[in-house]
Amino acid sequence: MIHVRQLTKTYSDLQKGEFVALDGINFDAMSGQIYGLLGPNGAGKTTALRILSTVLKPTSGIAMINGYDIVAEPAKVRHQIGFVSTNTAIYDRMTAWEIIRFFGLLYGMPEDKLQIRMESIFDRFQMNNIRNVLGSTMSTGMKQKVSIARAIIHDPPVLIFDEATSGLDILVAREVLKTIELLREQGKCILFSSHIMSEVRRLCDQIAIMNRGQILAKGPIEKLSDQYEQNDLEELFYDLIATHEKKREQVNALV
Amino acid sequence: MKWSNVSLIYCRELRDQLRDRRTLFTVLILPLLLYPLMGIAMLQVSQFMREHPTRIWLIGADNLPNSPSLLVDQKINPDLVDPRTRELIELDMSSEDDSRIQQLVEQFKNNQQEPISGIIDRLLRIEMKQRDVDLAVIVPQPMSSLSTDAAASETRKRILVFRNSASDKSNMAADRFNSVLSTWQQQVASTTLQKYQLDPNVLVPFSITQADVASRQNKSAALWSKVLPFIIVIWCLTGAFYPAVDLCAGEKERGTFETLLSSPALRDEIAIGKLLTVISFSIVTSLLNLISMGFTGFFVISRLGAGMVKTAGIGAPPVESIGWLLLALLPISALFSAVAMAAASFARSSKEGQYYLVPLMMISLPLMMLPMLPAAKLDLGTSLIPVSGLMLLLRGLIEGQYQETMPFVGPVCAVTLVCCWLAVRWVVKQFNSESVLFRPSERFGLATWMKHVMRERHDLPSVGHAVLCGIIILVLKFFVGMVIESPTSWGGFSKQTIIVLIATVGTPAVLMAIILTRKPFKSLRLRKCSISMLLAGFLLAFCFHPLITWITSVVIQLYPPSTDMAVMQQLMDNILSGSPGVWAIIAVIAIAPAIIEELAFRGFILSGMQSIGSNFKAIIFTSILFGVAHAVFQQTIITFFVGCVLGFIAVRTGSIFPCMAYHAVHNSVYALISRTGPALVDGPFGWLFTSSNGSHVEYRFWPAALLTGLGVLLLVWIWEYGSATSTKTVVTKPSSPWQQKFDGWIKRFMPRSEKR
Repeated sequence: MIHVRQLTKTYSDLQKGEFVALDGINFDAMSGQIYGLLGPNGAGKTTALRILSTVLKPTSGIAMINGYDIVAEPAKVRHQIGFVSTNTAIYDRMTAWEIIRFFGLLYGMPEDKLQIRMESIFDRFQMNNIRNVLGSTMSTGMKQKVSIARAIIHDPPVLIFDEATSGLDILVAREVLKTIELLREQGKCILFSSHIMSEVRRLCDQIAIMNRGQILAKGPIEKLSDQYEQNDLEELFYDLIATHEKKREQVNALV
Repeated sequence: MKWSNVSLIYCRELRDQLRDRRTLFTVLILPLLLYPLMGIAMLQVSQFMREHPTRIWLIGADNLPNSPSLLVDQKINPDLVDPRTRELIELDMSSEDDSRIQQLVEQFKNNQQEPISGIIDRLLRIEMKQRDVDLAVIVPQPMSSLSTDAAASETRKRILVFRNSASDKSNMAADRFNSVLSTWQQQVASTTLQKYQLDPNVLVPFSITQADVASRQNKSAALWSKVLPFIIVIWCLTGAFYPAVDLCAGEKERGTFETLLSSPALRDEIAIGKLLTVISFSIVTSLLNLISMGFTGFFVISRLGAGMVKTAGIGAPPVESIGWLLLALLPISALFSAVAMAAASFARSSKEGQYYLVPLMMISLPLMMLPMLPAAKLDLGTSLIPVSGLMLLLRGLIEGQYQETMPFVGPVCAVTLVCCWLAVRWVVKQFNSESVLFRPSERFGLATWMKHVMRERHDLPSVGHAVLCGIIILVLKFFVGMVIESPTSWGGFSKQTIIVLIATVGTPAVLMAIILTRKPFKSLRLRKCSISMLLAGFLLAFCFHPLITWITSVVIQLYPPSTDMAVMQQLMDNILSGSPGVWAIIAVIAIAPAIIEELAFRGFILSGMQSIGSNFKAIIFTSILFGVAHAVFQQTIITFFVGCVLGFIAVRTGSIFPCMAYHAVHNSVYALISRTGPALVDGPFGWLFTSSNGSHVEYRFWPAALLTGLGVLLLVWIWEYGSATSTKTVVTKPSSPWQQKFDGWIKRFMPRSEKR
């Protein structure tokens, strides 16, 4: 239930000058599916996800989340999404319970409903032992759990995970991936960005491979493997990026 | 805006800050500890100051007379000084072995040499240091029969007192000993007069009795009225700054900001919620400082004794003053909190945020110090100055001058509220700006920046270019004004005016247009315009001159010029009277500034400012810069209004030439009126001018009103012209051949960005 058409974002940068971070990308992600955005650092994944979560505004293009336009109706869009990113930390001076309650109230949840929802999430994520632990004293795994709990407190139909397992140890990362799978089973539309191929292969129903703000290839992994005659996702990824870089160099040389 | 979200964010931020030990310490604990510690230090120091003895080196004590005697038992005569001071004066009368000192005393004895020689000073300074004395006193000649000598001898006997004015101890010693000497001098005089059977009272023909009519409460209020507003303001800013940095830059650094931005809370709600937290901390910090200072002050004053309370007028602040302070606390806190928030939201990290405190303090300090000046008083002019006006109002209210201050409550409140509103809007705008919230952590380097500037050239200048050009002009004008001397003749004045204008105003603007933009002609607004618009600019200057003259008189009433300015005006009149003719004056003070200043301000700077997206804001900001570029404060205000009219013409006609026509005519009319003076009243323009006191010329009301009305009609015409040209189909006219040649030459040397 995410529809993206010709989404473009340009920044002004001292080093690079006028810099195109997203160059007219198009993709559709459906409910009950995990859509993976794959790309090297600087490919534009984070910019795309920040735009979809209404943190940034696009320079041009259209993006609809659950039928709401991200530019025209950002407030409605925010109620439809839960956003977890490597950049979205949790408050150091608040306890897990306080953090999740704060966001629940911001989402306009009534006190009684919020209480029930919080109890259920704390039970499901086995977070009752960290209810009164301050953010500053939590381990990275605990923090990530709280982040996910914070993102799903209002039970949004769309979830956006931006490199949600980056910096986590294998055990915690595995748990996060399990949670994401569980959310898919609940029928959520999940947008998941990563540069770890094994995660993407395991989780994603569809993927889009990005480089320098453009989508180079997209579709189900099997279909892409057939199309490019390459079964290994990592090799496929490498080939696509290398070919794109080469073409770009050739064009630059001509100009 | 949902206030429930604002309240949620406010409560969260407040709790967050109360759990932060650093903020708590700086904002809440420090004020509670600071004043008691300062009080302890003050008590210690005051005790030390009072108990400190004075050591005096007395050379030639044998020469002192026996009656009336200065010394008794190697100490000061108890009749000359109070017992406490007598105990504090220690005399060193050790005999002199040093031949140089002996020689020195001999010199004073024989030829009455004045004690202002470098060698003597140095010798005594070293000797005083070695002996650890604060004062050196030399009695060079025997004074055994002083009372008869004084009358008989033609040459007066002298006592030389040497002090080291660079040392406070020495100054204190000199004050103590001088009072002893003066009492002794009076005793000697009385004894002499009695000897000749004269009444000693002839020396004192009348007595002076001084009395202080101020009540103790008034005296106390006078002191507190200066101190308390300053304390409040400075702590409002400090108390606001640290939470502001933590709430904005700190959150960005910790990565929690993005979480909040993706939540349903709107940016405005986040900004207001955070601002309310900062205001709360600012108010609490100020209050705690006041309370802590009050308690400490009370105890210190009670320890220092009642004497200090009586003499220095230090007592507890009047109760009403606290009430006034509490009332003023909210607007001051709101203003400083918003300014601190806006500055802090721009910072990428807490560390960067801390760097902004000093510049913020430096900008605010003059506004805070102004009301502390003894000459500063609340009038319409000062009441319109942000912060200063409010502090002066507070001062007046604490001193109990209700009648004097009441007329200015309105202006002060209006200015403060407008400033608060602007500052809050600034904060909200910062929170809505992606470039501020997600400022990339670029490493700034001059070379990188220059490369960026050259590569990213646009057709027209940017806001940054416009501001930079304005700052360069201001800085150049300041330094050139400091370096060059004021001319005294017409020749010097005319050359200097034109050279300074070209060097400080014209050159930066033209060079920046060539280097930083792709279309220098368009940037400088050097576009053809219709004759009608040129004529409109020309006529508008005549029509609006009475209005500008009226604004000038209002400004001068609000902020009367100093005597220095009157002297400068006189000097200027003298210079102008030495000119070869009216044409020369018009060329130098009207046409040259019209061309050069218009190129810079309505040309480059206004073109850049227009990229803000609002012509109104662009005109206002350009006019502020135009005003500030005129060094005299009164002139700054007047030129701001002139700048607004010029900006309007420039934006609507799209050409610089009508502006130049307006500017040249405006300056010419001003010069001609001041040169011709009251003679105008009798000339062909008698219907327009009148002279109330025979020297000052002013416009007659109705003709002036008529001219202003005509001016408004002209403005409407210019507005209509602008609308008509902007709705026409835009057809890019081919540039003239020489213009194309120039652009081609520029292109060859300046590479273009291919993306544009």
